[in-house]
Amino acid sequence: MRDLNMDNEKPVCKDVMAHICDNLGEELESPNCLLIKKHIEECDNCNHYFKSVETTIEFYKKYNVTISEDAHNRLMECLGLNE
Amino acid sequence: MNELRLIEEAQNGNKKALAELVKLYEQTVYNFSFKICRNKEKAEHTMQETFLSMVKNIKQFSGQSKLSTWLYRVVSNHCLMLARSQGKHEFTSFEDESAVIDEKSIADWKVTPDKIAENNELREFLDIAIGKLPADYRVVFMLRDVEGLSTEETAKAVDLTVAAVKSRLHRARAFLRDELNERFKYGQ
Repeated sequence: MRDLNMDNEKPVCKDVMAHICDNLGEELESPNCLLIKKHIEECDNCNHYFKSVETTIEFYKKYNVTISEDAHNRLMECLGLNE
Repeated sequence: MNELRLIEEAQNGNKKALAELVKLYEQTVYNFSFKICRNKEKAEHTMQETFLSMVKNIKQFSGQSKLSTWLYRVVSNHCLMLARSQGKHEFTSFEDESAVIDEKSIADWKVTPDKIAENNELREFLDIAIGKLPADYRVVFMLRDVEGLSTEETAKAVDLTVAAVKSRLHRARAFLRDELNERFKYGQ
C-alpha cells in the first residue's frame, strides 16, 4: 500500500481494501492503520468489504474433511507402524 | 506421554511413540492436504509422503519449531511438488492488482459459513473457487488464514520473504472474496 500523509491525505477505498487484504489479523496500530480504521468506520462499502473478506476466510476454516479409517490403516501400513 | 517425550522416544527408535505422533497429526495433515489438492486420493498420497518424510527425518528434528509447524512445511512442499508435476498452469501469477480489487461489487451475502456442513453444493463451489488459485497462492492462504500460522511461520514454511507472503495473501484473499461475492450476492 502507498504511504499516506496523515496531515494532508485521506485513504480512498482502494487503499483500504488493499490494506485490509494485507493486514487482516496483524497488529493495526501504525499511523496508516489508524487512518484506515477511521475510514472503515465511516465508509459502508469498506466496512462491508472488510466483513466479506473475514467471512471468506471463515468459509474455508469451516470446510474440513475427516480421514477415513481405511486411509488411516493404509498410512500405518505404508509406514510399517501397524498395530 | 506429552509430545516432547513422544518425539524423544521416537528419535530413540520407539515405534509406538512414532505411531502415536502419526495419530496425533494425521487428521491435521490430511485435512490440510485436501484443502490444497481438493481431491481425496491426492490428499492421501501427500499425507503418506509427509509422514514418510517425518519417519525418515525425525532424528534430525531439533525442536526449535513446533512439530506441527515442521509438518506444515513438509506437507506444503509435497503439495507444491505434486502441483508442479501437474503442469505449469498451476503457477501462474496475478500481475494485475486492479483486477482483483473490486470495490464496486459490494452486496449482502445470503449464505453463512454455518451452512457448510449440510450443503454439498456449497462445498463444491468453494472447491471450484479455490481451485482457480495457483497452488502457491493456495498454500499461503491456507497456512496463514485457515491454519493460523503467523506470517513469519508461513514465510519459513514455503521459503518466501514476509513481503512475498503478504503480497500473495492479499491477492488470494481478494480473489476468493470476489469469487464468493459473485455467487453469494444472488444467494446459494
